[in-house]
Amino acid sequence: METKILTQDIANPDVVSTRAIKLECKNVSAFYGKFRALTEINMEVYTNQITAIIGPSGCGKSTLLRSFNHMIDLTPNARVEGQILFDGININTKQADVVDVRRRIGMVFQRPNPFPKSIYDNVAYGPRLYGIRGKNDLDMLVEKSIRQAALWDEVKDKLHQSGLSLSGGQQQRLCIARALAVQPEVILMDEPASALDPISTLRIEELMQELKKNYTIIIVTHNMQQAARVSNYTAMMMLEKDGSRSGTVVEFAETKKIFTNPKDKRTEDYVTGRFG
Amino acid sequence: MTTQFQELIAKNQVRLAMRRKFTNGFMLSVTGFLTILALIPLFWIIGYVFYKGFAYLNLSFFTQLPRPLGMEGGGVLHAIEGTIVLSLLGAIFAIPPGVFAAFYASRYPNTPIGITLRFSTDVLSGVPSIVIGLFVYAIMVKPMGHYSGLAGGVAMALVMLPIIIRTTEEMLKLVPGALREGSLALGAAEWKTSLSVIFPSALSGIITGFLLAISRAAGETAPLLFTALGNERYDLKTIVTSGIAQHQSIFMIFGRIVNQPVDSLPLTLWKYAQQPYPERIQQSWTVALVLMIVILMINIAARVWVESRKRRLQG
Repeated sequence: METKILTQDIANPDVVSTRAIKLECKNVSAFYGKFRALTEINMEVYTNQITAIIGPSGCGKSTLLRSFNHMIDLTPNARVEGQILFDGININTKQADVVDVRRRIGMVFQRPNPFPKSIYDNVAYGPRLYGIRGKNDLDMLVEKSIRQAALWDEVKDKLHQSGLSLSGGQQQRLCIARALAVQPEVILMDEPASALDPISTLRIEELMQELKKNYTIIIVTHNMQQAARVSNYTAMMMLEKDGSRSGTVVEFAETKKIFTNPKDKRTEDYVTGRFG
Repeated sequence: MTTQFQELIAKNQVRLAMRRKFTNGFMLSVTGFLTILALIPLFWIIGYVFYKGFAYLNLSFFTQLPRPLGMEGGGVLHAIEGTIVLSLLGAIFAIPPGVFAAFYASRYPNTPIGITLRFSTDVLSGVPSIVIGLFVYAIMVKPMGHYSGLAGGVAMALVMLPIIIRTTEEMLKLVPGALREGSLALGAAEWKTSLSVIFPSALSGIITGFLLAISRAAGETAPLLFTALGNERYDLKTIVTSGIAQHQSIFMIFGRIVNQPVDSLPLTLWKYAQQPYPERIQQSWTVALVLMIVILMINIAARVWVESRKRRLQG
């Protein structure tokens, strides 16, 4: 049943109707010290769509993702050039309110990283940061977020147990609930299913289809089938041909086009498994 | 070539197998023997202290002050209370700066202050404890004009400080970076992340470090010789009840607890063992036993607490 929905998305590209731009990269380059990790990235992320970033290891997918919410700032000597427009406003500036950017652009990591707190406190952590203290408000937010993350039925009777007592897939959905609790607009997912078994992976993918109704999702994935299954748009990243070990987006298009009719030879080689 | 090789193997097979077995058995017995050898002193000490100290062990030993020689009964309540007071004082002085320093060192390990901190922690843990006692004598006892529990507490704190910094730093480093990132990605500030995510995750290990530091300091004699001195009439109950009777404020009473010479178990042991009276020497063995039991209890409590907390966190 659910898988049908997934295939429908690819089969009917007309589902992709709204093309409001949520995030836009203009000539984005990233550096770690003197090393240039990203070169001149230009791409758009559309509102309420799932955009996949695929490409071989070490081509800068995570670097690009971390540029969006200033998480790259945590790496010493990292710096990002170019413009990242978020609702038309450049957030890649020194003046940008990092806290506000991170609230509006949430993140889910590769390995589930629930805090060693209760399930409830994990989800309430974000809202509490933003001054929400009332028990009723918190209860409501926690329930809503966990429901949105499709985890409510499994945890509603044990909200005060440790988040670490859950299985890997449940932990990852808890992390999604935690990200949703601060009412973000965009959710960045850095290989969210790579540490999970196939069934948990499927649940995360179904969840993404649910979430895109209200959120804009960017997912980095190694798994091309996953990108084909879940995303509406795909950015294909590769290392520059000149051997500089610097990554760039070689093709950005609707996922269907990337996988059926790629324009770039490198994309074609990669998606057909001939990449070497 | 291959057949030649196989022939060679076949020829040597039995010999090699025997040699392997022999080497294996030999090394196993050597390591086993040396392990037992290493354990002997430990159990010998514990056993001998039990054997020697058990005779005087009774309830009054824990609840009474020393009596003059020749009188029956009497205990080392003053030393037990003193040890508790000194250890608590030391912990109060050492834990806050130790924990903050460890946070700094784990967060900024390669800054000049971080490197200096780690280096000086190593140096401080290598300073002989008698030197620490002498130092505190010079900076506190001399200016104050008298020995005091306060000075003893400061000396204890200096013994604890490097242990606390080191263990706390190690425990903080063990917290996965992903947790920190998870919190920062929600927009939390660095201090908030440290306080509500990293610190609670490392807490059980950090508390174990505290207890190890306390039990280490509780067994120290040298830093107290020049600072706490010893006090055979130290009695918390009298200080508190007389303080209440005279309507003294809580600060006054606390001042009287720390502002006079204080005894401790290792100090008492050291003093009793030097006296020429068999009774005192007997008692010093019992003090040794009590000291060992106290430290053992602290260690067991630490382990039990850490285990239960771990189970609670894992669900």
